[in-house]
Amino acid sequence: MPRLLLVLLVSAALPAAADECYSVDPAGGSVSFELRQAGSPFRGAFHRFGGELCIAQSRVARIDVWLEPASVETALPEIDAALKAKEFFDVASHPRIAFASESVQVRDDRQLARGTLDIKGKRRNAEVPFRLRESGGKPLVSGSFTLDRLDYGIGTGEWSDTRWLGAEVKIDFSAALSRR
Amino acid sequence: MVNLRNSTESYGIIAQAFHWLVALLVLAQLGIGLYAANLPVSLARLRWLSHHKSLGLAILALVLLRLGWRALNRPPGLPGSMPRWERRAALATHRLFYLLLILAPFAGWLYASAAGLSVNWFGLFQVPDLVSKDRQLAELFKALHIGLVALLASLVALHVGAALRHALLLRDSVMRRMLPWKPRSND
Ligand code: HEM
Repeated sequence: MPRLLLVLLVSAALPAAADECYSVDPAGGSVSFELRQAGSPFRGAFHRFGGELCIAQSRVARIDVWLEPASVETALPEIDAALKAKEFFDVASHPRIAFASESVQVRDDRQLARGTLDIKGKRRNAEVPFRLRESGGKPLVSGSFTLDRLDYGIGTGEWSDTRWLGAEVKIDFSAALSRR
Repeated sequence: MVNLRNSTESYGIIAQAFHWLVALLVLAQLGIGLYAANLPVSLARLRWLSHHKSLGLAILALVLLRLGWRALNRPPGLPGSMPRWERRAALATHRLFYLLLILAPFAGWLYASAAGLSVNWFGLFQVPDLVSKDRQLAELFKALHIGLVALLASLVALHVGAALRHALLLRDSVMRRMLPWKPRSND
């Protein structure tokens, strides 16, 4: 089946297939972030995420993914706790971050999903470039994009001081897809 | 008359400058570290810890330079009026000082590296990490940093106490040798 997926993705000349949906497999996948603290890179990751990606007419037609910010992990427990609190992800009121695509464009071996990113109840347009390729017999989705944390109210109050905590956050993701 | 180099009687102005500069910075560093480590996660903690890391590395660099200068320029011997065990204890304390002044900031650097809190030195350049990020290792280096710093602080107390004893009770030349100005001698 993965081979079929690749064929579908690579050659748009094939006849149209019915919708095929794949779910994002968090095992072995990763969603990590990086921003600047006091001028140095600071990194962390989220462990609980999922969603689905559907193919129609031999193209990626729809992407719906989510992530639980409560699964954030840096190497510092006190920072993990602070990130879950109101000033950052406010996980009690907003347990999920979600991205839903509106359109997906193919650009050579890369694709670009345009859609809505919803963090802390703030919905913003976002562009997420990604790649699909085969790895270990499974299709693998990966990509990276940046966002401005202040657009989503991540780090309010004193934390909006971008000299000490950078505004730009780079997100890297990769996960295997399983046929559902 | 100001001597750059040490004489047999006194430290030179360079050794004195190293001594008082390092003393001042280490005291400030102990204060900043203690203050920052007890702040809750906040911008103030981030800011003070960032100054702490930069200053700590500056101290490490200064101490290495100071050791280099000391290697080229031996310190004056301790007065013969001191009992042998006291002279030995003084020399051992000074050696241990240098050791801790290298190991304590080094452990701090290891901790910052393992915790993923890399240092950008006073906002001027990125300092390399010594180890990659590792939660367990971070806990270990944090305990090591605090332990070495506690030892360093005890040594400071002993050192200041001994210096004051020489200056105020024994009234020998020991304190004067490290002062850039020379109070009247009682010897
Ligand atoms: C002579 C140099 C140094 C001295 C005297 C010193 C002293 C201290 C003191 C007193 C504390 C508070 C310990 C506590 O009670 O929890 C501290 C904490 C700390 N130090 Fe240093 N330090 C030095 C160098 C450094 C360096 C070079 C770094 C990193 C590059 C560093 C990183 C840290 C960090 C990150 C903490 C916070 C520990 C925590 O998370 O609570 N230190 N230091």
